[in-house]
Order: sequence, then C-alpha cells, then structure tokens
Amino acid sequence: MHLDDSAFLSECKPTLRRLLSALTERFSYASVLAADANCKSYHVSRSGVFCGEGTRFSGRGFVIRVHDGKGYAEYSFNELSDGRIPGIVSLIAERLVPMGEGFPIDAFTAPPESPARLSASAEVALHPAALGDEKILSRLSKLREKILSEDERLVDATAYASFREYHEYYLSDAREMEQNEIWTEGMIAALALKDGEVKEYFDTVSGNGGIEILDGLEEKIPYVARSVVELLTAEPIEPGEYDCIVAPDLSGMIAHEAFGHGVEMDMFVKDRALARSYIGQQIASPLVTMHDGGAAASQTATFAFDNEGTPAGDTLVIDRGILVRGICDALSARALGVEPTGNGRRESYKRKAYTRMTNTFFEGGTDSLEDMISSINYGFFLENPSSGMEDPKNWGIQCIVNVAREIKDGKLTGRVFSPIILSGYVPDLLKSISMMTPTVKLAGSGYCGKGYKEYVKVSDGGPYLKARIRLG
Amino acid sequence: MTEKIKAALTSLSPAAWKIRDEATESAELFFIRQILDMKRMTDVREYTVTVYVDKTDGEGKKMRGSSSVTLNPGTSDGEIREVLASAISAAGYALNPYFDLADPTTSPVLPDSSDLGALSVEEIAKKMANALFSVDTAADAFVNSAEVFAIRKTVRILTSAGTDVGYVSSTVDGEFISQCKTDSADVETYDSFSYRSLDTAGLARAVANALERVRDRALARTGLPGGTYDVVLSDGLMRSLFSFYTDRANVAMIYPGYSEYKIGEPVDRTGKGEQIDLTLVPTEPFSGDGIPMIRRKMIDGGKLTSYHGPLPFCRYLGVEPTGDYTAIELDNGSLPMAELTAGKCLHVVAFSDFLTDEMTGHFGGEIRLAYLYENGKVTKITGGSVNGSLLDASGELVFSKERYSDATYSGPRAVRIPGVSVAGA
Repeated sequence: MHLDDSAFLSECKPTLRRLLSALTERFSYASVLAADANCKSYHVSRSGVFCGEGTRFSGRGFVIRVHDGKGYAEYSFNELSDGRIPGIVSLIAERLVPMGEGFPIDAFTAPPESPARLSASAEVALHPAALGDEKILSRLSKLREKILSEDERLVDATAYASFREYHEYYLSDAREMEQNEIWTEGMIAALALKDGEVKEYFDTVSGNGGIEILDGLEEKIPYVARSVVELLTAEPIEPGEYDCIVAPDLSGMIAHEAFGHGVEMDMFVKDRALARSYIGQQIASPLVTMHDGGAAASQTATFAFDNEGTPAGDTLVIDRGILVRGICDALSARALGVEPTGNGRRESYKRKAYTRMTNTFFEGGTDSLEDMISSINYGFFLENPSSGMEDPKNWGIQCIVNVAREIKDGKLTGRVFSPIILSGYVPDLLKSISMMTPTVKLAGSGYCGKGYKEYVKVSDGGPYLKARIRLG
Repeated sequence: MTEKIKAALTSLSPAAWKIRDEATESAELFFIRQILDMKRMTDVREYTVTVYVDKTDGEGKKMRGSSSVTLNPGTSDGEIREVLASAISAAGYALNPYFDLADPTTSPVLPDSSDLGALSVEEIAKKMANALFSVDTAADAFVNSAEVFAIRKTVRILTSAGTDVGYVSSTVDGEFISQCKTDSADVETYDSFSYRSLDTAGLARAVANALERVRDRALARTGLPGGTYDVVLSDGLMRSLFSFYTDRANVAMIYPGYSEYKIGEPVDRTGKGEQIDLTLVPTEPFSGDGIPMIRRKMIDGGKLTSYHGPLPFCRYLGVEPTGDYTAIELDNGSLPMAELTAGKCLHVVAFSDFLTDEMTGHFGGEIRLAYLYENGKVTKITGGSVNGSLLDASGELVFSKERYSDATYSGPRAVRIPGVSVAGA
C-alpha cells in the first residue's frame, strides 16, 4: 500500500499559497516547507516497557525562507491561519531582517529556482499502525525473552522498534512538491556484567518500509547473545597498526565519517574541507567506489526531495579511488557555482538546513570473506561500532568499535578485544583497502550529527573489506 | 489549547495525566568568518501530553502504563480526542509496576530573573555575536565560522495530581571553529558554549583561549609514542568525564541492576587520590514532572549520599523523587596545575570526540591537541588516541586547585588519571 497524504497538510495548502503570495509581495524570493511527522518508539527491557512519541522528530510545522535583498533569512513556526499571515510577514520584515544589521554581509541576488512538480508516496507492506501497539510490544517482549534464554549469564536484554512517518510539502513560485515517506528500525541488545562493567552487544534492522522489518531480528539473536558473553573475557588491545577485516557495519561508518562528512560542500564554502583541493585525484585504493544519495539506495534516508525542494539524487563521490565530487545543499551550491545534489536536510522544520548525508556506501568487490581472513598473518576482525566523528579539515577519523576478534595465521583465534578506538589519516586508511566482498549491506538505525547537534536519519554500509588501520 | 486538552482528558478519563506546554522562541545567527551567512527566528509551541492507565496484572499486582503524544496549537477538538484516545490505548499495553505521580506543587509562572530575561532574543544573539568576534582580530588564528542561538522557553507543567507550575528561562548557546593558517599548517579546533547569563566577557575569553589553542595545534607534531601515560583532562572535558559518576548514581541504572552504587558506600576503591565530593545543581526551577529542583549532594567524601533520576524509578526504589539534573559541582582540588602536571604526563585539551561510556567506564578518543610534559619540557602533540578506564583508575584521581566553570560544571579545572593506555601516531 502507498502512504496516504497528510490531511493536515492538505488542509493547509490554500493558506500556504496565500502566505507565499503575501511573502513574494514583500521579498524577491520566498519558499515554504510544511511538515507533518509522527515518530513513535517502543522499548522493552528489564527497566520496563515503553511506548510513545518524542518531540524531536515528531510534530507539525512550517519553515519559510525569504531573500531580503542581500541574503537569505528563515522563520520556523507551527501555528498557521489566514489571520496570522500579516503578522508572520511583519515579523520577518520588522524583526528578523533587521537582526542582520550591523554585521557585514556578502550580498547577492537570489538565483532563479528551476521549476519542479513532484508527488511521491512510499510503499509500505505492513504499516506499524496496522500491526498495532499491542502486537509490536508483544513481538519485542518475545524477542527479549528469547535472547535471555540463550545464556544464563545475561543480566538483561533489550528489544526496540521505532518508525517515523513524515509528510512534506514544498511550495515556491517555481516548485510544488509533496512526499509521504516512512522509515522503520529495530534493535536487539544483550547485556552481561563483569566487575562493574556492563558489556553490551547489539544488532539492528532498518529500512524505508513498514514494521515487517522486525522479522529480520530473530535470526540475529544467537550471535548477539554469544558475542556479549565473549565480551566478558575481552582484553585491552595493544595499540598499533594492524591488518584488519572490517564488517559492513563498520565499513559503512568509515564511508560516512571519512568521505561522507569529508565532502559535505558547505564545508567547502567555509574552507573547512581538505577534499576540495583533491577533486579529480586518487585518494583511495582503486577498489573503492562510493555513493551518497536519497535515491541511491532503499533505506532510512530515502526520499523524493530534500528539505530545500531539490530532488533526491545518487552522487558518485569516489570512483575507483578518484575523488569525483562532493554532496551539496542549495545555498552552498549557489556559493560554489555548482548544482545541488539533494542533500539539503534539516533535523526538523525548526532547524536550519545544512549539507547532510543520506544513504552512504561503498560498492562491493570480488573477494570472498574466507580468502580475506586467510590472508592475514596477524590482525583483527572488527565489528559492532557505536559512534564516529569526522575531521574534514585534516582528514582524521575516529570510530569507537565494540569488538575486535584476533586473527592469527589466517584464522580467528577466539580472543576478543574491547573497546577499540579506530583512528588515523583517511587517505592512508582508504588507500590500504586491498580486498572487498561483493555483497553490500546498509544499516540505517543511527543518526548523524553536524558536530554535536542537528540530528538527521542516515544509513551507511559497504562490503566486508580488508585495510590497514590504527587501533588503540 | 490547554483547556481543550484538559476537557478531552476529562471525557476520556485516563487514570492520570501530565501536560507540558512549552513555547520556544529563538534568534539564530550563522557566520562564515565574520560575514553573516544566515539569520533565523523560531516561534514554536508544543503540548506534550502523557497519559497513564492503571490495570492489575494476572497476579493482582497494580500496574501503570504510560504513553506520550505531541499536539500543536490549533488542533481541532476532534483530533485532540482521537490522538489522546490512541495514546491511552497504547499506554494500556506499556504496563510497568505502579507509581504515583509527583506530589502536587503549585507556583505562578516564575519569570526569568537572569540578565537575559530583560532582553529580546534578537538583542541577546547580536550582543553575544559581537562579543564572540571582539577578539577575532589576528590574521594567523581566527574564527572560521560561528553559530549563535538565543533561546527563550516558557514552560508550564500540569498534572492530574494537582501540579501547576511554570517558568521562563533563557539561554544562549552556540559553537565556533577556530582556524590557524601558517606556511606549514592549516588546522582547526571546535568549541561550543552555553550561558544562562549575558556573559559577553566569558565568551570573549573562551574565544581568545581557543585561538591560542589552535595556534598550538598548528605547531603540534605527530609521533607520540604509544604506551601507558598519566593523562590530564581539563576544562570542558570535565563534565563529560564525571558523567560516569552521575550516570551510575541515576536510578535508571540502579533499578535494572546496571550500577552497583549503594547509598553510604564508597563510589571508588581506596587509593592515592582524592575522595570525590559532588553536588547535583539544578538548571531549571522545576523538573519535567513538576518537582521543585534543589541542590543535592550526591557524593560526600567519596561515599554516595543520593540517587537521582526519573520519577518512576525513584518510586520503585523508595527514593524521594529528585527530577533530572544536567549540571554538577565538584568540591575537590588541592594541587596547583604546575604540580598536577609535574613529571611525565599527557594533558589532552582537544579530542575529535571525547566519549565516556557509563556502562563500561571507558573514556577516550582521538587526540587533536595535547601537551606532553616530560623531563621539564612541554611538547605540543597531535594524533594518536586515548583509551582509559575509570574503573581501573578508581580511587586514584587527583584534582587541580584552580577552578573552571561552564553551564553544566563548576569545579577543579583539571584531573590527573594514572595508567591510561595511549595509542601513538
């Protein structure tokens, strides 16, 4: 079934058209993005059972963008009526625009917007509302019980599910676009306790469809339970540089942190990205080809158009090791004289749009995982990352990895090391990639911050790959 | 709108309810160098309604379920009722052991008594932006970009138990990137800030310090040998490090058995370090449940004196409900910085991302700038990473006499942690 249109947005449309008309009488450019989102999550653990919405990713509201003759200004609000239109226009003209007085501005005229009309609705096999809260919680409870039954050393298990159904309507003189989208995710985790340390191992499912994705969690239970028990005897790693096999969840995080953030072109505008001076150059192994785009994959960051009304794309960022181009929001595209790529995204209608990733992944190769492990004299198999951080300026990378499994003489030894800080210089890491499996897996259960705020839903992924990496 | 919600709740009659009415206005300025790139304002009001449903389980035990939804101003009566009915239905499936809501408290809406309260959000944003750039005058080290957010919230909390409290609060938050460009280096550092007063001098000082630090980053060299080091952490990293203690004393970790902290017992092993003295400090007058927030001693002479955290878990553990805290004060500190950094140690002042894991006790991250103190010499270092354990260092922490304060921390400027694993670069 296709998602229905939002009744709220449908009712708002006539008023939004009148609002736009009033704004364009006063300003040389105006656009409005209207949003109606519902994000609901479910959680079962020893702490209890939880079900409800969060305000961060739920809500209804509007963001206006105008050009005031010198530059852009934005106003976010969530109460709309015909009676409020004069007040909104006055606030923008009399409070927002004058706020810029006294600061230097690089004035420019608003570029023309290319015309676009688009209407898209995602398909859902089983909508979470159709399954219902009771059955979702019941499924999560059963998953939790099954995890706990795997090993008596487990002190807790958690099962989690969440979905966000969102509807967006973008209106300007040149464009009228609407989309109805949904993402869904699930997670299971097992916890064990040793000497005051709570060890945890988790796995996830995610996609841009319905709650049917929870079907994929049960098969992961034995590995999750076994892995957390292995963490009870995990050792601290001897810091150093090692040959590593990287699981798809971590290869995705590397793609995201290294050449996802590294090529966000709002950083080019700010002279904060080393990548700008390496376009066209070899920055990775010839095995590496990398994409990003809302239309590049079917995952949690799949959509028809971004929050600035630019259709979603599939950007070839790295082609056989050569850096091709970055990803770009509309305002940075204007400043750089390039086309936007559909990567202008907001945390919500309340926040500014920045260049943000969507679905970011390495293409696969031709090597088998068995051959990759056999090729290592001494190194590690890395999996289960929890966080990462970018450094577009100096091409650093940091990932926190939960599990490193020792490989010696081409075989896994059974020894486990944890936690691991993966760091290093991105080109060194990417140029060292020497083997890749064919199958690419993407995971979209995380959020990406621009620094420490502005969280957007993203997915990332890749194949298993072999690289030389600094671990500590 | 609140009255419409209450009317719907009365007709649907859940066992209990809570309404949070929050109106937020903000003024936001975004700069590239000192050029204003974007200006924004927001005006958002939301009603978060939590409904509670009571049932008995198969063994006759009293249970309470809850679920929360968000409503916009202008939502029709019919839709309010539909959304709340759906939340009540969901609450009926999310059952946990019964707990009482917070004891009723009533108060008029408390005004913002800070110096921010007398200014419009635009005035606050402009004054702080000007303060930020007031020290940005050099050619080699400068502010690359900055964002300033002046935010004013008006909050009202009502519950079916009789709570009706409210307050207005203002903050000014933001971040800036400092860049140093020389013939041989082009580097940057990241800083964030948060103030509850118009501390223009404080922000200017923070920027000036950051510009000095980024100059040091430009001079920093890689090549730190890996090994075990005494690591010194300071300033803005202190709050993150001590989140380990505040999280472990949180009832949300005590109740499921993740934390073994007990009232009256030491939080650390006995060792050569100082016993911790930590106080929880409120940042708002009322918690999300309407509990009046007070200063609360959490660790006294190294022993746990108070749990804190979400209301249901406080009730389950028989603990006085406390509300949630984000700010702390540490009363420790006996060594001047010169003595704290004596001998061989690595003072890390900037990480790619400094993380403390409350579940494992591990802390660390990739080093962006550190000072290696060795044989009376100080070397500026970049690269490598720190991977330490507060459980391993338990009882061994020593603190500086000098003090540091920000929006969520007041206490010793620095702490020295022995025996930390460092990966070289």
